[in-house]
Amino acid sequence: MKQYFAKMDDLGKPLKPAQIERMKENVAQIEAVMKTIDTETERVKNAGIPAAKVHERKQMTIWDRIEYLIDPGTFCPLHTLYNPLDNEEGMTGVIDGLARISGKWCVLIGFDNKVMAGAWIAGQADNNLRVTDMAKIMNLPLVWLVNCSGVKLTEQELVYANRRGNGTCFFRHAELEQMGVPILAGIYGTNPAGGGYQGISPTILLAHKDCNIAVGGGGIVSGMSPKGKFDEAGAEQIIEATKHYKEVPPGSVGVHYDHTGFFRAVYEKEAEVLDGLKQYMAEMPAYNPRFFRVAEPAEPKYPPAEIPSIISFNQKAGYDFDNILARLVDGSEHLEFRPGFGPEVYTGLVKVDGYLLGAIGNRMGLLPNYPEYTNEYTGIGGKLYRQGLIKMNEFVTQCGRDRVPIIWFQDTSGIDVGDTAEKAELLGLGQSLIYSIEQTKVPMMLVVLRKGTAAAHYVMGGPTANNHNAFTLGTATTEIYVMHGETASTASFSRRLVKEKESGRPLGPIIDKMNELAQEYHDKSRPFYCAKTGFVDEVVRFEAIRNYLVAFANGVYQNPRSICPQHHMMLPRLIRAEVVKGLDRPAKQ
Amino acid sequence: MSVEVLAPMPGKILDVLVKVGDKVAEDDELVILEAMKMENPVYCTCDGVVKEIKVKKDDTVESDQILVILE
Repeated sequence: MKQYFAKMDDLGKPLKPAQIERMKENVAQIEAVMKTIDTETERVKNAGIPAAKVHERKQMTIWDRIEYLIDPGTFCPLHTLYNPLDNEEGMTGVIDGLARISGKWCVLIGFDNKVMAGAWIAGQADNNLRVTDMAKIMNLPLVWLVNCSGVKLTEQELVYANRRGNGTCFFRHAELEQMGVPILAGIYGTNPAGGGYQGISPTILLAHKDCNIAVGGGGIVSGMSPKGKFDEAGAEQIIEATKHYKEVPPGSVGVHYDHTGFFRAVYEKEAEVLDGLKQYMAEMPAYNPRFFRVAEPAEPKYPPAEIPSIISFNQKAGYDFDNILARLVDGSEHLEFRPGFGPEVYTGLVKVDGYLLGAIGNRMGLLPNYPEYTNEYTGIGGKLYRQGLIKMNEFVTQCGRDRVPIIWFQDTSGIDVGDTAEKAELLGLGQSLIYSIEQTKVPMMLVVLRKGTAAAHYVMGGPTANNHNAFTLGTATTEIYVMHGETASTASFSRRLVKEKESGRPLGPIIDKMNELAQEYHDKSRPFYCAKTGFVDEVVRFEAIRNYLVAFANGVYQNPRSICPQHHMMLPRLIRAEVVKGLDRPAKQ
Repeated sequence: MSVEVLAPMPGKILDVLVKVGDKVAEDDELVILEAMKMENPVYCTCDGVVKEIKVKKDDTVESDQILVILE
């Protein structure tokens, strides 16, 4: 199929010096936002006790362990700023992301042993579930760096119980294993109760000599005879029992290596546990990249670092989406699907690190003589209309048939509204796209380039596609809300304004409320807020998006659950059938 | 030969990005037109030189109104 894939159509253009000059302030605005994200990221990295204190105990921090474990430069962190319950620790207590270890990609997660000795803290449960979902969707091994002191006992109601509580993780581990996805654990420190299950639920357990995993810990054992209240005598008994169990915590190597054999191996040094993980990762099943690559890998012709000179920080200003995509994909090449139809949306085949992906994104700009179903108004990029929705449905369905994973790019103000739009079936077409996504069973990722709004944020591969969206990236220009704050204020207060006006009362108080609501919408849609609440899984620099695309492409093609032979794919033929290039009919003999 | 670049829809001129005598190429941005709550570049339709600019900042324009004449 090299006639389709070896050299695709050119995508994008070089930037003119005048544009680069004009966009300098734009670049500075974007960088200013990323600096605040950087500051928050540093705060998370330094959460808990100082790293020096961990080192004094001759231990490695989670960051040391990750750095030692992974192939250099391959870590794509996710959920760094995730703190949905706004806990006092300032982060969820786990560090995770995509990583390559010994040449094989995995989903990597570990307890931050600087933060309450790796306890279960508020917000962590959902972080863990997002991570297990990624492993499921991408069919990647899950690597756990276990170092978990169990429930933060003073906040047990926030972590222990619930349909999506910390214990749900163990069922997800069993589910992954049922699906043939292995979980590799490197175990450190004291892991009682919940920590015990974090240790026992993975597939392969590699232990540091000083670790333990147990149903209960010393503190729990000593409290096992409740008297109804605590008193001096009881306190003395607890002190004695605790002293003893502190020296010999239950479930140590002597039990779980020498006796039960739960630990597959035990290592003297912390780094050796990681070496053990590296060996297992080297042996993980994986196709050689040449099996699925459609062409040799290539860097984009235009540098990703130029993207901040293209995408406008001013949400009212348009930009050329094709020029952004050109700076993220191999060779800055593509095969566009149905150009000219549904002009508000881009759909096409691209290559990332030599692998074939489907790309879908919103195009900006005015759309004269569009949409076709009305003359009442003119189309504008960012909105979705009938043709665009039909095209996306078609493309997604074909990607499913051809087993092509999809990257979505969003900058959308929503789906067209009003009776004209209703008669054009847009409500049904939006849900149809959700149905199309759901029936593909191909992995997807999303980049919210700028706006993610209303139902369009859902239907364009949004995180609500729980079974398909592996992760969602945000950028410095991301804003996610049900509608723009000013629209929300108008919708909420227009009738009140009329009432107040008709009653002769001053409008000032209502206007103040409207401005407050608009400001609240603004504040609760900024990139940091989106990362903290989980609207996106990570906020990254534009130039870093390519790293995540490479990780995604390599990850989803490492061990896919289903295969469409390249020569059986229909998408390249459907695309080329529209424009047959260089294939003149053979001359008559 | 003169070529007229027209407003694609009614709106307000936010900025004029070229001046008379500038050499321009196809797809260069000539003018920023505010319409449909967005700031939309109006692009050059061919290579040429800016002969005349018919609008200035803050002007309100109608659909198909001449914005720039190229030579």
